[in-house]
Amino acid sequence: MTPLPDHLLESFAAEAVREGLADALFGVVDTPIGRLVIVQGGHGIVRIGFEAGEGDALLAGVAGVLGPRVLRSERELGAARDAVSAYLEGDDEELDLPVDLALVRSPFRRTVLEHLRRVPRGTTVSYGALALAAGNPKAARAVGSACATNPIPLLVPCHRVLPGTGRVGNYGLGGPAVKTRLLQMEGALDQPPLTGPRTDSL
Amino acid sequence: MTAASIALPPFWSLVDAHGDELLDHARRLAGPQHAEDVVQEALLRALRAYPRLRHADHLRAWLYRITTTAAIDVHRSRHREVVTDVPPSRPFHDPDIDEFEAVIGFLGDSARDALRLRFVEDLEYEAIADRLDCSPAAARQRVSTAVRSLRERLT
Repeated sequence: MTPLPDHLLESFAAEAVREGLADALFGVVDTPIGRLVIVQGGHGIVRIGFEAGEGDALLAGVAGVLGPRVLRSERELGAARDAVSAYLEGDDEELDLPVDLALVRSPFRRTVLEHLRRVPRGTTVSYGALALAAGNPKAARAVGSACATNPIPLLVPCHRVLPGTGRVGNYGLGGPAVKTRLLQMEGALDQPPLTGPRTDSL
Repeated sequence: MTAASIALPPFWSLVDAHGDELLDHARRLAGPQHAEDVVQEALLRALRAYPRLRHADHLRAWLYRITTTAAIDVHRSRHREVVTDVPPSRPFHDPDIDEFEAVIGFLGDSARDALRLRFVEDLEYEAIADRLDCSPAAARQRVSTAVRSLRERLT
């Protein structure tokens, strides 16, 4: 099957955006950890995940929440693709893109992820500390679920959350090896995990 | 949020699965120089109507009908010499089966039946052959002849 020409797809997507017809837009970017799908809703990035294996389910999940008019546009997603790609190539700037937690239904998980979003590059946080920051110190396990179902890895930095065991812990976007690599890249692994994020706002 | 009450697939998956065959269809109807305009117009019309669909059946046939009517309309608007009261930028009303019927109305019964089986009922050629009591090759031939007649209307 030959896909439609890029210029036709982009022109269609641009017109759809102009008319306000798109519920969500996505692009695909090649990175050192694999090909990633980045989905943008009305207020920011709503979803990031691997294209292989989960790509179709990922878009269906977005369509179920934001609406079925999900379109591909590499041009509209250009800035986000560049930023994610640069970050994973080792660029040492904070990955800073608008984020929209629309896909997170549970209020507690949303609170957790909002706090996690403020954990800066180069630091880590424990599940317990994040539970405390989210207002429920006993909810470390629920914080684990919030991280495991984080729809926007990298932008909501669940790789910066470490278990109390001193190990690096699991990671949805490519397993512990990727998590370790991200933390090393950020210069966060040659120090012991902190008990809390280094920000006063928490 | 505009969550659909029924589970429509992401629109992109339709474009991905059927875009190339719609472009072929548009080429047959409108010629290679206008085919991309026709497909873009058809996809926009489909996108406008998409959230209001009541079911997710026969989406491929639905896209073929929209592409067919878009080909006719793009042709008409290009050849319209009398300025009408309706500005050309007015959004097209939603394509549906009535509109498709209006477009194929000038054809004979046999050609209309073939087009309906293919682009309304969404049947494969084997099934069309069963319904028309002919061979699959003959069914394909009837559809293709009917599409050619539509095209001749455009040129």
